[in-house]
Amino acid sequence: MSEVTLHAEVGRPLGSRASRRLRHEGKIPGVVYGHGTEPVPVAVIARDLRVALSGESGLNTLLTLEAGDRTFLTLARDMQHHPVRGTVTHVDFQIVGRDEVISADVPVNLVGEAVEVNRGDGLVEQQLFVLSVNARPTDIPSTIEVDISELVIGESIRVGSLALPPGVATDVDPESAVVVGQPPRVSVAAEAAEGEAGEEGAARGPAEGGAPAAETGGEG
Amino acid sequence: MLMPRKVKHRKQQRGRLTGTAKGGTSVTFGDFGIQAVEPGWLTARQIEAARIAMTRHVRRGGKVWIRVFPDRPVTQKPAETRMGSGKGNPEHWVAVVKPGRVLFELAGVDRELAEEAMNRAIQKLPMKARFVVRAGTHGAPEVLV
Repeated sequence: MSEVTLHAEVGRPLGSRASRRLRHEGKIPGVVYGHGTEPVPVAVIARDLRVALSGESGLNTLLTLEAGDRTFLTLARDMQHHPVRGTVTHVDFQIVGRDEVISADVPVNLVGEAVEVNRGDGLVEQQLFVLSVNARPTDIPSTIEVDISELVIGESIRVGSLALPPGVATDVDPESAVVVGQPPRVSVAAEAAEGEAGEEGAARGPAEGGAPAAETGGEG
Repeated sequence: MLMPRKVKHRKQQRGRLTGTAKGGTSVTFGDFGIQAVEPGWLTARQIEAARIAMTRHVRRGGKVWIRVFPDRPVTQKPAETRMGSGKGNPEHWVAVVKPGRVLFELAGVDRELAEEAMNRAIQKLPMKARFVVRAGTHGAPEVLV
């Protein structure tokens, strides 16, 4: 895991108006907390934060935060984004210890080509995009790669079968699916028949839990 | 078309469209999405038209998620009716959309095809919207500043 030094200003004015002025100056308001210390409001330069978190380790980059006369070893945790622009509006820095096991979200990347699924006109559906792992800050992997070349339609790769690096564990249910080989839902004949039938789609309401309506295949 | 199975009250007041979306602002299920950048009411008919435009262009493969649901009834008085005599009849259903809301998501296709399909779907929408990519994938940065 890479480690970056980031300079932070302490003693920033608090409140929404002052924070907004900070953002206009190209800074991001944030807070440093953890290990029983008093929370310290800080401000970091937006450009520096982007550069720091755009390295190999991404959001799990270990940040040495120089805040005034104090230095904290931190991880950027909860980042708030602007709903339209997507820019970071606030960032939490959590103080961590080098030998302390912490939890972190690691992105799951699919590698290889699912030949069997593609041959059957199926769909490779990734269901788990980040895996929550427990590890020491220096052991947190930048990504977890999942080889999907052996994936077939109707089968899935589960969390239990992932090869995690040494010193890394996860509390996620081993039976949770990471990626599923979905069968094609609409055949060519059915598609043609529906084209003639017109554009009357059946009502598709979301499930009780509020999950969005989803469909696979062609025109449904 | 999408509509609630049953509702507690048949008619609603119109309300105001201020502020930005409070949630549902990031691509969560698929790889690509359509994000509204203006507020507006999205009718069930428009949702269906956008979905059809998208799925027809993708043809085979791909999975579409609809992230909004039209749960607000809109009433209309019949033509050539005198004012008064109470509120009109429920005519259709709309989803209230505020800037930042992700309306549709798509997975299982490459970026070029997804962008083309979603741009066709955007043409069916009553507000300005844009194509977005899941953060940290397909060349999209993880942190925007």
